Amino acid sequence: MESVEAVVAHIQGLSGSSDEVAHLHSLLKQSEDYLTSQAARLAPFLDQLDPIKHSLGYLFLLDAYSSGQISRDQSHRFLLPVVDFINHCSVEQIRLVPDKFISVCKRLKDHVMHLQVPIQGVAPLRTAVRKLQSSSEHLTTLHSDFLLLCILAKCYKIGLSVLEEDIFEVDQPKDLFLFCYYGGMIYIGLKRFGKALEHLHNAVTAPMMSLNAIAVEAYKKYILVSLIHNGQLPSFPKYTSVTAQRNLKTYTQLYIDLANCYTAGKFSELEMFIQTNLEKFQNDNNLGLAKQVLASLYKRNIQRLTQTYLTLSLQDIANIVQLKTAKEAEMHVLQMIQDGEIHATINQKDGMVSFQEDPEQYKSCHMIEHIDSSIQRVMMLSKKLRATDEHISCDPAYVSKVGKERPRFEFDEFDPVPHKFL
Amino acid sequence: MDLSELHGALASKSYDKIGELCDELLIQVASRGIPFQEEWPYAIHLMGHIYANDLNSARFLWKSIPEGIKKTRPEITAAWKIGQCLWTRDYTGVYSAVRGFEWSPEAVALVTAFSEVYTKKMFNLLVSAYSTISVADVAHFMGMTEDEARNYALQHDWSLDSSSGMLIVKKPCITKEQKLDPGKLQRLTEYVFHLEH
Repeated sequence: MESVEAVVAHIQGLSGSSDEVAHLHSLLKQSEDYLTSQAARLAPFLDQLDPIKHSLGYLFLLDAYSSGQISRDQSHRFLLPVVDFINHCSVEQIRLVPDKFISVCKRLKDHVMHLQVPIQGVAPLRTAVRKLQSSSEHLTTLHSDFLLLCILAKCYKIGLSVLEEDIFEVDQPKDLFLFCYYGGMIYIGLKRFGKALEHLHNAVTAPMMSLNAIAVEAYKKYILVSLIHNGQLPSFPKYTSVTAQRNLKTYTQLYIDLANCYTAGKFSELEMFIQTNLEKFQNDNNLGLAKQVLASLYKRNIQRLTQTYLTLSLQDIANIVQLKTAKEAEMHVLQMIQDGEIHATINQKDGMVSFQEDPEQYKSCHMIEHIDSSIQRVMMLSKKLRATDEHISCDPAYVSKVGKERPRFEFDEFDPVPHKFL
Repeated sequence: MDLSELHGALASKSYDKIGELCDELLIQVASRGIPFQEEWPYAIHLMGHIYANDLNSARFLWKSIPEGIKKTRPEITAAWKIGQCLWTRDYTGVYSAVRGFEWSPEAVALVTAFSEVYTKKMFNLLVSAYSTISVADVAHFMGMTEDEARNYALQHDWSLDSSSGMLIVKKPCITKEQKLDPGKLQRLTEYVFHLEH
């Protein structure tokens, strides 16, 4: 096609049936380079197209246009058509060229970050994720961009909409690492440490051939959140990659030392440790979390007391966990009761606290519903796992690799299950 | 900027939805690239999160408000003051923050509703955390005078120990639904089936 006008005419003429769109797709591919070369003068032509009807053509033009230099002034005018396009474009048409859609969305992200208005990109990218993914289990490249904008715009809760879905399909390893890392950060911000731990754990234990920076940073946060949430640092599970097991600790020595200091349980020593390494934590942007680790030590120590004593005076609690006054100890205990972290009753008259068992007897309807839904989820998961396992064992690439690794058997010795799983 | 949905929620007193509704409206408005900060009902938005006990969202919203706007609209700062007291567990501070500001007509109902819920929540906390407690502390936690606090407690079946001047907390028995419907049996059968296959 020799001119932009002709391209536009084709787009307008060939956006009806799916056959037409397929034909248009091949035509547009041929004129891709030409369009890119004309990037600077494409803006007015966008107005001649309808983002809903001509989604495919619009996307080609938008991609070519945005690949050129866009000045700060033009940026504002560039954003609105992109946002409109994302909101209205036809899902079938854009899925023909997912790469183009992704690159346009990524440029939108870059622009709002450059203009320091990340909030402007939050809603459009959420829509973009939904339009691009084939199912809610599909992790797209845009997931992490969306989460990043949520963090920058401080709309943490908006990010939950994609984090709460179980992921099963991943395009690129990097997508998964970033998704888990940013997801972990969002949950940390919302103080849902259990979920944060889950996400960071996934980043740390994901298969990797060589160490990557995302996993290192994720592991640092993983250590801190583990201490806050569980009071200890668990060792790597068996399925962690060898790379991670061998190398992660050398890059996170400071955090390992912190964990050791925490286990000793002395508030003053931990405080000193954080104070001495203040700058290092600050450089890692983890100082806030480190301080939360320190604060959690009071709780941890009080919780430990509940395992030993049935009743204890407030003054004794204050002495043992290194708080200044009995009143301060009372406030800590009250907070923990409020947050459901311990079960206890304060008796002000005698200045005593009595610790109790968890009153949940696991026989209420509510609890049964809860257990029921957990069983259902686990059943779904096990079905899925079995299906995947079958799928993999039928995969020619896998079968030939496994076949090479194991010694050849006589036919009658042959067992149908690969060795590794026995 | 179309805030009719928000006004509707306020009018129907669905206060627990305000926070999330505002979050959603905010990102939609922002995506159009229109400058919204000057007119955005930040105070209501903050109070919506605080009402829903979502202090994290309130905290992040506060951080995202431009400094200039915080200065020119005192109601935003006043709303955040409540959130701040809740965050630092300054139990009495919450009441003085509620009372210490002349709330605008749009916000006043929401703030009052929050204050009522908060008082009830604090009372429940005292019930679950204490067996005996001084009148002064009840007054402190409930934002009342000592006389009011004593009466409030006595109305809820607490008793006064005259020798020590302490209130003895009465814990209500909570009975939970324990009956099961037969459908559960069917489910159990399915689980066993699943385990065996």
